[in-house]
Amino acid sequence: MNKLALVTTLGLTLVFAAGCANKSVVRYGDATAVETTDINFGSTDLQKVAAQMTDSLFLSPVVGTLTQNTRPVMFVERLKNKTSEHIDTESITDSISTKLLRSGKFRFVDMGRVEAAREQLKFQHDGGMVDPSKATQFGRQIGAQYMLYGNLSSIVKSNQDKTDVYYKFTLRLMDLESGLVEWADETEIRKTKAKESVGW
Amino acid sequence: MLNCLLKRTLLILLLIVISGCATFQLNDLFQGYNSQMKPVKAAMLQGDFVKAKSQLNERDQSNNTYILSLLERGRLEFLAHNWSASQQTFAQAYTEIEAQRNKAKIQVSKGIEKLGAVVSNDNATSYEVPYYEQGMLHSYQALNYLFQHDLSGALVEIRRANLVQETALNVYKEEIYKAQNELNNSGMSTDSLQGGYPNMDRAIGKVKNGFQNAFTFYLSGILYEASGELNDAYIDFKRAIEIYPDNPYLQQDVLRLASKLGMQDDLIAFQQRFGKYQEKTLSGQGSVVVLVERDIVNSKQDVGLNLPVGRSNNGLKFFSFSLPVYEGALIQHNKLTLQNAGQTFQSNEIVRIQSLAAKDLKDHLPSLLTRQVVRVVAKEQVRQKLSREAGDVGNILASIYNIASEKADTRSWSTLPDQVDIIRFNTASGKQVLQIQLDGQQKSIEIDVQPNRISLISLSAIGRHIDYQSVNL
Repeated sequence: MNKLALVTTLGLTLVFAAGCANKSVVRYGDATAVETTDINFGSTDLQKVAAQMTDSLFLSPVVGTLTQNTRPVMFVERLKNKTSEHIDTESITDSISTKLLRSGKFRFVDMGRVEAAREQLKFQHDGGMVDPSKATQFGRQIGAQYMLYGNLSSIVKSNQDKTDVYYKFTLRLMDLESGLVEWADETEIRKTKAKESVGW
Repeated sequence: MLNCLLKRTLLILLLIVISGCATFQLNDLFQGYNSQMKPVKAAMLQGDFVKAKSQLNERDQSNNTYILSLLERGRLEFLAHNWSASQQTFAQAYTEIEAQRNKAKIQVSKGIEKLGAVVSNDNATSYEVPYYEQGMLHSYQALNYLFQHDLSGALVEIRRANLVQETALNVYKEEIYKAQNELNNSGMSTDSLQGGYPNMDRAIGKVKNGFQNAFTFYLSGILYEASGELNDAYIDFKRAIEIYPDNPYLQQDVLRLASKLGMQDDLIAFQQRFGKYQEKTLSGQGSVVVLVERDIVNSKQDVGLNLPVGRSNNGLKFFSFSLPVYEGALIQHNKLTLQNAGQTFQSNEIVRIQSLAAKDLKDHLPSLLTRQVVRVVAKEQVRQKLSREAGDVGNILASIYNIASEKADTRSWSTLPDQVDIIRFNTASGKQVLQIQLDGQQKSIEIDVQPNRISLISLSAIGRHIDYQSVNL
């Protein structure tokens, strides 16, 4: 009887000791698989938001007429992050603008790279290394006709049992000349997390 | 006999291994957190924050006081103006707090920790960050983002701080009520503490609860104002003024925004309370906000008492207890005087962290006491068993252990300021020199005021040491 207790204790000790030191494993996964590691804004939310917004933009009749004969030039202002999480909103706008560019219906100017472009042109003209007749000319860039901008806001509620997060993503397209908002849409995401009742 | 000894050793081994996933340092059990923090505070008073950081007790992630050590380190990095290091440390602390919050409702590891705490003391449990400390974490984090010129990151932290205060508002009362009930069930009440336990009312002052922090609201209002969200700013200023109705700078902020946003009813009500509002901003002027942090918050002290505990089999018996307490009254700090362009301003209190800390402790006394009762009874039983089985030696050893291990849990964020004051005024744009005076010390601050924008100065005065950082919002 005593021996049994001894062995059980020893066995339990070993199990617990092993439990504290698990081996880590590296694997490749599907980049578009649903990710539910925690309740925070994640890759699935990003993909969902970007896909729904671009689909809605393409299907809109207004945008259909805009892109009938021309490829309008757009620029992405920024997404205002109004949530309680540090979200890389540039990554969302990158996904959206890439999808729009890929469709071939729109063209983009990148405001984030204006300084770099200016530096390059300066080098071409003043650096003394580039043949002046072959240097890219200043003042020939095309101005954007439309501005894409939006908001990402969230409502977070939690109690002892669960946490609920609601995201609302609004995107708008403004005609810079007339100031009219030509298109707007929003997507919503709701996530809840129930706490487990018993755990380590 | 040998077999029995072997069995016990194994059992102890098992306990150690189980608790191995969340360890505590042995000296935490016998040396209080307050005395561990003494050299840190001494270095802070000399203005040597790098030395203060090196005096901090290193703790690894499995340690039960890990979160607290992150908070202390983050604060010291902040004081040393290492914004990005401070930001990373606080972010880590936030991750840990989130992990703690998302844990299962019934935690096996917590039960084991509590078991450990029963035979030692509360220092063996994981540190749970009080709401006012969580609020301060996000406030400093917001400042960290601001000083790295990321207003949108700062606003995220402000929203988190507001979430903390909202959660606290919902949960706090319930928690306190439950703890009170549990204590009553164990046949004790906080009234039995009277006499031996110092009254903390003088350390609490006037605060109504231990989590609502007007400083966080004010900072939030300023940041919302800077980002053009005046309505959000107005709401936060209104929340702040409910806590500090006498602060003249707050009164002006509320009146100004009420009139700007066209809140006629509010404006009439506020004007009745605070006097007629006159628009003072001239065109081309900018606004200057100074946050003044004063000194360091006190550490909890250990107080020993003898209390009767009723036990079913042999009636009342006196036991010696150890409980944490904030001793002494609030210190009256001198106001900071600021001169600029012929005008003189005096700083005004926006939060008293010492009061929040003391109030939080007072509200948590019932649950501390309940655990304490369980503990003294358990320790007494161990002593009786040992004295029966191992005679006098066992009795003496157990008694020594009981006395030595009877330490109050004095853990709290001990590098926070004691008090925060504010000053806000408008001044002409361009280079401005602010002359400040505090406790006989003078300092001049040079800032570049931009028209229609807010210049924020975070100033900390610890001991004889005055330090500041400014940023244009």
